[in-house]
Amino acid sequence: MSPVIELHDVSRSFGAIRAVDGVSFQVSAGEVVGLLGPNGAGKTTTLRVLAGLLAPTSGRAVLHGVDVQRAPLEARRHLGFLTASTGLYERLTGREVLSTFGRLQGLDEATLVRRVDEVTQELELADFVDRRCGQLSSGQKQRISIGRAVVHDPPAIVLDEPTATLDPLASRDILELVQRARARGKAVLFSTHRMEEAEHLCTRLLFVRGGRIVAQGSAAELRAQSGAATLTGAFLHFAAGGAA
Amino acid sequence: MRPLGVLLKKELLDVVRDRRTVLLTLVLPVLLYPGLLTAMGAIIAAGKDRLKNEPLVVAVTTPDAQALLDGQPTPPRTSWQRTPRAEAEALLRDQKIAAIVDAPEGAAQAVADERQATVTVLYTRRFDRSMEALDRLRPVLEAVNTRALTLRLEARQLDPAFAAPVKLEAVDLDFQKDLGPLIASRLLPVVLLMMLFIGALYPAVDLTAGEKERGTLETLLVCPVRPVQVMAAKYLTVALVSVASTLVNLAAMAGTFGAGLSLAGPAASTSMRFSVAQVAVMLACLVPAALLVSGVSLAVASMARSFKEGQSLMTPVLLVGLAPALLSQMPGIELTWGTALVPLLNVALLVKAAVLGTASGPLVVVTAGSVLLYAVGALKWAASTFDSEVFRFR
Repeated sequence: MSPVIELHDVSRSFGAIRAVDGVSFQVSAGEVVGLLGPNGAGKTTTLRVLAGLLAPTSGRAVLHGVDVQRAPLEARRHLGFLTASTGLYERLTGREVLSTFGRLQGLDEATLVRRVDEVTQELELADFVDRRCGQLSSGQKQRISIGRAVVHDPPAIVLDEPTATLDPLASRDILELVQRARARGKAVLFSTHRMEEAEHLCTRLLFVRGGRIVAQGSAAELRAQSGAATLTGAFLHFAAGGAA
Repeated sequence: MRPLGVLLKKELLDVVRDRRTVLLTLVLPVLLYPGLLTAMGAIIAAGKDRLKNEPLVVAVTTPDAQALLDGQPTPPRTSWQRTPRAEAEALLRDQKIAAIVDAPEGAAQAVADERQATVTVLYTRRFDRSMEALDRLRPVLEAVNTRALTLRLEARQLDPAFAAPVKLEAVDLDFQKDLGPLIASRLLPVVLLMMLFIGALYPAVDLTAGEKERGTLETLLVCPVRPVQVMAAKYLTVALVSVASTLVNLAAMAGTFGAGLSLAGPAASTSMRFSVAQVAVMLACLVPAALLVSGVSLAVASMARSFKEGQSLMTPVLLVGLAPALLSQMPGIELTWGTALVPLLNVALLVKAAVLGTASGPLVVVTAGSVLLYAVGALKWAASTFDSEVFRFR
């Protein structure tokens, strides 16, 4: 299966600090890849390079066959991006948010109407989609945010610690999004500190430390490589500098 | 709809639904001017009335001073109190009396002998009551002078005009009856520039630092839109709010004056009616000025991480921005080829000139053109901040 998300030897420095150091990996359609690692390991920088928010110092990021640096606008049409700190325009209604971002993604009006209806139905937004986002509960806001990220039905979905600040109910919406996306053949890449999420959802895990991928494989493979009984144990092993 | 149109619609919707922005930039001026100026007028009038009706004690230091005053009717609610000068000065400093009339021994006789006497009135500007006392004493002493002069002229069978060969009559050709344009030329440059800034600062901070803080900016930047388009939409929104705020202020002020509000008393009216040409001249500089202020505000606000930090950064911007407006009120500073190139000072001076009807065509063009050039510079500055990673992730 052809890869939807590709990073080729990507590095990114901030002054003397090398936040990402020669990272390469691919995520194919229908695959969910988890990015694990301690704080400051370079996960967020990697995802921001992928989203075109940061330029790589060297290397190449590709989304659905489109080079992110060379054709950033075209590449972003293939991307749904959501982070824990993602906010909503609180003075806009949920429907206005979905419509605005659908239009920004280049959807024509007929497709936009259809997609807003589909997302509303799929994420069960109907009861509150016409209320201003500032009046919604955090769980309802989270679902609108998810809708915002996928309204254009992108083949690649990138989530940066999406459940970090959420309660279990709101986290469940994110996890369901990942499962649905996987079932529909999307390529999903997400970073997380929650080992149970990673183990439950991901087909493959990448462990990042010091800007490099130091271990990769399924949860079982990472456990075996580290000699730990649990994924948390494997996390602690690799974070402490242990080898694969 | 192209991305810029979508973004602009989103920004305008967001701003128009922001109660604080609407209140601060559009509603407040409509209520502020009538309320503020009516209150000011009422307070000034009440203060004047209070002073006029207040009983005042004036110290008279010597029998000669008393003798000079005795020939004239005592002003209403005023009483004389014989007090030695040294003691009277202490009482004046303690506000126990309102003023002192002092004349040396022999002053009354000097007047009678057709010589000149010096009468000193001691007062202090620190107290309104003392200023009122001076106002009450002045006609009394002028009457003493006039009476003595009349007696001297009559004794020599001379006409009163003999003592005043030249009678000065100062006539203000433009503002004798209507003080509106004069007051407006003082108020408008300051108020309009202030409102340009206030109209721009709040939305600029909200749409940049506020968006960063709320985590919404990133959602725009991961869309297939160029950062410069995101910036352009924000820029146009801030400029529109700024221009709207300025126009509302202008209309509110004109409406307030037009309603016949009088701050100058019944002797003169204060109206403010602008011709189409005057409005066109003001708009010719205010619209580019709004673009300039919006660009600067956006660029500076982009440096902030949070709304609060953005507001802190805007305080010096506001102070620096208002300095030219205040400078325009200094004596001798007018719109010239040189000042027409000084950003914002040129706008303030052109507004002043437009109100007074002294704006010349070439200077209007130079002013509007130079402000437009500065606005382009500010726009480039704002665009460069949006295009930088520092802006996105600071």
